[in-house]
Amino acid sequence: MIIYSLPLARWVSSLQRYFRHELMPLLADLRLAIGLLLAIAVLSAIGTVIEQEETAAFYQAHYPEHPALFGFLTWRVILGLGLDHVYRTPWFLAMLILFGSSLAACSLTRQWPMLKVARRWSYLTRPQSFQNLPFWTYLPQQSLQGLPEQLRRQGYLVFQEGHRLYARKGLIGRIGPILVHVSMLLILLGAIWGSISGFKAQELIPSGSVASIQHLTGAGDLARAHLPTWQIRANRFWIDYAPDGRVKQFYSDLSILDQGQEVKRQTISVNHPLSYRGVTLYQADWSIDSIRIRVNNSPTFQIPVLPVRTETGNKLWGAFVPTQPDMSQGLTLLLPDLQGTALLYDTEGQWMGSLRQGMSLALNEVAPQRFPSPLTLYLDEVIGATGLQIKSDPGIPAVYLGFALLMVGVVMSYFSYSQIWALQTETGLYLGGKTNRALVTFEREFDRLVEQQKFAFSLSQIPVEAEMG
Amino acid sequence: MALLAITALAGMDLAQWQALLNNVAFAICLGAMLFYWGGAAFPQVQLLTELGLAGMIGANLTIAALLTARWIDAGYFPLSNLYESLFFLAWGITALHLVALHWSRSRWVGIMTAPVVTGIVAFAALVLPEDMQVAQPLVPALQSNWLMMHVTVMLLAYAALLVGSLLSISFLIVTRGQDVQLKGNSLGLQFRPPQPQTHPEWAEATLPSPASELAYAGLRSSRPSSAELPPQPAPEGIPWQRLSLAEILDNTSYRLIGLGFPLLTIGIIAGAVWANEAWGTYWSWDPKETWALITWLVFAAYLHARITKGWQGRRPALLASIGFGVVWVCYLGVNFLGKGLHSYGWFF
Repeated sequence: MIIYSLPLARWVSSLQRYFRHELMPLLADLRLAIGLLLAIAVLSAIGTVIEQEETAAFYQAHYPEHPALFGFLTWRVILGLGLDHVYRTPWFLAMLILFGSSLAACSLTRQWPMLKVARRWSYLTRPQSFQNLPFWTYLPQQSLQGLPEQLRRQGYLVFQEGHRLYARKGLIGRIGPILVHVSMLLILLGAIWGSISGFKAQELIPSGSVASIQHLTGAGDLARAHLPTWQIRANRFWIDYAPDGRVKQFYSDLSILDQGQEVKRQTISVNHPLSYRGVTLYQADWSIDSIRIRVNNSPTFQIPVLPVRTETGNKLWGAFVPTQPDMSQGLTLLLPDLQGTALLYDTEGQWMGSLRQGMSLALNEVAPQRFPSPLTLYLDEVIGATGLQIKSDPGIPAVYLGFALLMVGVVMSYFSYSQIWALQTETGLYLGGKTNRALVTFEREFDRLVEQQKFAFSLSQIPVEAEMG
Repeated sequence: MALLAITALAGMDLAQWQALLNNVAFAICLGAMLFYWGGAAFPQVQLLTELGLAGMIGANLTIAALLTARWIDAGYFPLSNLYESLFFLAWGITALHLVALHWSRSRWVGIMTAPVVTGIVAFAALVLPEDMQVAQPLVPALQSNWLMMHVTVMLLAYAALLVGSLLSISFLIVTRGQDVQLKGNSLGLQFRPPQPQTHPEWAEATLPSPASELAYAGLRSSRPSSAELPPQPAPEGIPWQRLSLAEILDNTSYRLIGLGFPLLTIGIIAGAVWANEAWGTYWSWDPKETWALITWLVFAAYLHARITKGWQGRRPALLASIGFGVVWVCYLGVNFLGKGLHSYGWFF
């Protein structure tokens, strides 16, 4: 046992030493941090200049080999390095992970110790020490009298012991950067966790139907195994139109069914999604699913409609409506939108008339030659389908917490950490100070302090006897 | 005549007011720039610099009036198109110019910012075609309070970062060809050797010469620089050493970028949260948000360069100068790259 554990222990301790004395200082090096910040900036910029997520044919057409752009930027280079999807490439993600490690190392080995040092202050006991401060002065014959009050009025926390004084303010300016780093780590971890455990899906659900989440457009490895088992019922989908025919808003009345039981019901619209157990349903798309019609005294048929491609690119849906029980004859029914008006054409493409939802059309009156016998068509209902964008991102709480802390942290980091020392000797007063950020305003503050101290001193020099006399 | 002019003004509607303010803003900015530059060329004529300052205040108020008129006219805070956002940016720069001037008391602030403001206003008022100046109804996706929050904060961040990086450029101009020793960098450490009453490298900056206006009389006359005081022996007290012009420019630039950085952070986060609430994704690498991130990264690098040992002085200032260009790419350049919710539209 001992024979085996000794080399292991040595190995572990040398690894620890490497980690503590080699790796951590390297990661915490500010020059590495600056390099990483700028490298990520440059790589991100490349992604905005080269078109992202296009087909190989696109890059072949726009980045030919002869002549190569800048002499080297051909489609082979772009696809080879993954410049067609910069933000998803392993090297970009590796750089982000390195950036996160640098943040963590910097917080642990620099910021935290610096904060502890900031809290462990000391008085200056020798006049020579003041010469090392960026701002310092010597006021002959003067004393500490009035100085603590003056400093407190300017927001300083004052410590005094005999002839020595120390004052500071803006310690939150020292805590701010730590908070910024911690929150950046939180955001990075939240983003990673979200990409592993989150998923995205799209479902097209006709009014009145039930669907489960199955059409995934992207999912992390962890999410695939644990997709929600509950189902979505689209009770109704409708569109609000403005008088001029423009769409005002899309609405879906949705129910969440857990083992057949309705557990939540809400009407969603664009910008107003539904959330259930960390999964959010957004109103994203729509379609027309089917129509319900009757011919004369027949029972109601539900006929599916199919999207039709138009030359202008407008949405249009069409269905074949049989007028004979053996389906040998029929009409083509077209729906331009969900406002409830259908256009009827015969098999030759002749316009027969229009039909509104809930109304009927007597075809034998419109076209007596084609339909000699009584034939009335009833359009009972046009059934729409709601297109839902379904998303789950379990990383959001961490990311949002990170956002909140980051905002607080950057604001705190604006404050300058100012310190002032004073030492009263037999001949006079030494006064000095320093600050880490606001040098210019601190200089002015220090100047005011010195002037007020001199002024108070000159007042105290007015002979008291004269007043009494 | 005066009475006629007043009645003519009173009879104008808001649209005419806007057209007038639009041209007045440009004229005042141009004047302010010329006065500031005249003040730089003839430092002994204090009046020129003071007129420059008055011009910048006038420009600030004129632009504020213009934006208010449009606000009343359109019924919502006027940030719907490039024209309005340019004027808001110009307003932000003139306002932050006053802040920077209050901190630094250096005419370099005006010399650097006035031409940029004039350029922005000239572009908005004279180059942009008429139809891009008209207030437009907002796209439904942008009708949100988040828009106000997000866009205003972003533009104020751009303004602070632009003024800050302009001062870094002025720092590079002032210290060209010099080995820079700054008093107290951001670590609070002192790099300048103690007690160099007249350090040779700073002779130019501490003496009242055209390149230095530490004793910018109108504002700073009550505070003579240490070089003008006779060296005093200890028993009479030791006068404390003041910041040099380069140090003042360096630190004012740092403070403005330090102000712009939190604003940029909050602006980006507001945009991300808004996107997540409305569309279900807080980051989609769209060109505008990518460039906002690039701006953030470049200025984060600047802030870190300042606390890197041996890097104080010109190296961070160079980074900030690069940041000046990056802000412009983020603000305008993205329009060349592609369309999207962030595109202001373009006129080519």
